[in-house]
Amino acid sequence: MPDRPASPWRRRVAVLLALACLPLLARAQANYEIQVYGAETVPPETLMVELHSNFTVEGEKETIDGMYPTNHQEHETIELTEGLNDWSELGFYIFTSEQDGHGVQWVGDHVRPRVRVPDSWGWPVGVSVSTEIGFQRSAYSTDTWTWEIRPIIDKSVGRWYFAVNPALERTLHGPDVEQGWGFAPSIKISYDFTRVVSGGIEWYADYGAIGNIAPVHNQQQQVFVVTDLNVSPVWEINIGIGIGATSATDHLIVKAILGRRFDWGRHSPVD
Amino acid sequence: MISRRDFLGLSSLVALAPPFASFAENLAEPDYRIDIAPVTLDLSPRHRLKTTAYNGQVPGAVLRLRENQPVTIEVANHTDRPEVVHWHGLFTPPDLDGAIEEGTPAIEVGSTARYAFTPRPAGFRWYHTHTMAMNDLTRAQYSGQHGFLIIEPRNDPARYDQEFFLALHDWAGYLLANEDGAMNPSYAVSTINGKVMGFGEPLRVKQGQRILLHVLNSSPTEVHWVALAGHSLRVVALDGNPVPTPRTVPMLRVAPAERVCAVVEMNNPGVWVLGEVRKHVQALGMAVAVEYENRQDPARWEQPSDLIWNYQQFAATRPSDSSSDPPIAVPLVLESKFRGHGAMEAWTINGNSYPDTRIAPLIHGRRYRLQFINMSMDDHPLHLHRHSFELRALGAPLAAAGGAAPNDLRGIMKDVVLVDSQTRAEVEFTADNPGATLFHCHQQNHMDLGFMMLLHYA
Repeated sequence: MPDRPASPWRRRVAVLLALACLPLLARAQANYEIQVYGAETVPPETLMVELHSNFTVEGEKETIDGMYPTNHQEHETIELTEGLNDWSELGFYIFTSEQDGHGVQWVGDHVRPRVRVPDSWGWPVGVSVSTEIGFQRSAYSTDTWTWEIRPIIDKSVGRWYFAVNPALERTLHGPDVEQGWGFAPSIKISYDFTRVVSGGIEWYADYGAIGNIAPVHNQQQQVFVVTDLNVSPVWEINIGIGIGATSATDHLIVKAILGRRFDWGRHSPVD
Repeated sequence: MISRRDFLGLSSLVALAPPFASFAENLAEPDYRIDIAPVTLDLSPRHRLKTTAYNGQVPGAVLRLRENQPVTIEVANHTDRPEVVHWHGLFTPPDLDGAIEEGTPAIEVGSTARYAFTPRPAGFRWYHTHTMAMNDLTRAQYSGQHGFLIIEPRNDPARYDQEFFLALHDWAGYLLANEDGAMNPSYAVSTINGKVMGFGEPLRVKQGQRILLHVLNSSPTEVHWVALAGHSLRVVALDGNPVPTPRTVPMLRVAPAERVCAVVEMNNPGVWVLGEVRKHVQALGMAVAVEYENRQDPARWEQPSDLIWNYQQFAATRPSDSSSDPPIAVPLVLESKFRGHGAMEAWTINGNSYPDTRIAPLIHGRRYRLQFINMSMDDHPLHLHRHSFELRALGAPLAAAGGAAPNDLRGIMKDVVLVDSQTRAEVEFTADNPGATLFHCHQQNHMDLGFMMLLHYA
């Protein structure tokens, strides 16, 4: 007998169950991974390896609550994402920091499962939800265990691309554990100048606890001017420079993401 | 009421009294009627969709015409937008061919049109809508508007006991980003004769029979590979035209709008799957059971491990006389035009998109050699209206020294040829059917976005 298609009804239930089982909240990764997520997931039998390089040109210069100043910190984050099937993936992060006087330091690790609405459902926008939980050392974040849930909605219209990540996050262990849920949305708008070169704006915010929105100067507000270079289906290149508009935000950051897909499956022409 | 015999008699007066002949045509009963109307189609118990079809069925009825015997087909448009029916592979005049670009009038909403023509050449042809869909993946060729057309005599090169008509089609399209950075249609359901595997009737055969399969790919955009488990297929005709060298092959490759006729010896009793070779497409439903008499076993599939096909194997084994005048070469460079990662690509022929595509007018009676230089990342099923062409060279990589085609083919007559990405292919045809003639890629989204050119006679 030929392979039979999976029941769409069963697939819907599976996706909805997966969404319902997601953990609730997480804390933002500060300046270790600066990225607005698109809804697409990594295909099955594919490993996506990304290197996030972020340098704080101008940041916090004082040690606060035992936390190292961010000024001139170089963050290198390795992100490994494996596609599980055509609607889910699992990501893993290794965060590191390099700074004069502190050398290269391991900061922490996160895991990030993600599910999405399959293309075959025919939704007018891409939709996925990721959740991220992990640990970071107290020298780099007073909140050592954090949890994030990130809905992701995106849409490509001609040369324009829009993505919204209204992330919710919370501390599981640390001084902010009593604050409950925080709201940290991010948005990306970009335009395809050519098949290879896209450019746009990414905006990242952290308003603090829901129900107790922080004063403006205590909010994090960052805007990046970015370019994406679509040189190949297997490569991902994103470069940007961002400014922080509030006193609670690092004032000037340069970021780069270099990603490479590795297709490790054995594919034949008839698959 | 005027009988068909009376009508034909009246039609013979055409040369003397054209207005009267036209009047007679309008009075006569048509040989066939086609109603274009919305229909709800059950592709499977789980897949019901609204589409547009001919006479309420998908595929439309098999039209059997006789070569050189005039025919009248009446078409009524019950949809909410203008329609037109293209007689694919026929040498019809441009005002009847069924392409609005050539001058065939559209059938307006609620109107009826009569197509009266003399069918030729003999062979397996088909009829389908020739409208635009753009971003609406339910219209035009994405719909169910397609049917088989046979012009007798078919010059069948092989005896057969039973024949089957099979239309491969893809449904419920949605746009998906592909690897070259643009959007392309993808599909949720794929069918044979409008049914997914297990939902339609099996093909019932008897041991010892020779069956003739007429396989049509009516898909809006997809190339399909088809095999019959437990059996080989002897290809006897491509696009309805007998091939010089029939070959037995393990599978067929059928590009959009192509037709393949293959004879199968039913010598392996059981119940077998005839279906798409690629697992993910067969999983969408593109298969049908072939059931021997008195066998009720579960349908068996034998998964091929590779995709095997080339046109060259069907060519004449000896080159024909090449002493005639060399053809006029017409290079056609085929390229895509980026419109954003969130859009389908536009297409150009020699740097221009339709309606700005053009070449020098054709000279009646001259031989032309179309040289397709496919610079794009897509394969293209290229179709020439109102003429057949001969495959002369295929598959030469563009990177090859001098871009020269390595082979010299003869004898394969077609009206659609699949030109692989980054290759060069060449076909020849004789300009012997004056009038506007459309050339285009038969992928619906490609022709919608500029991949067409109108050839004019001088």
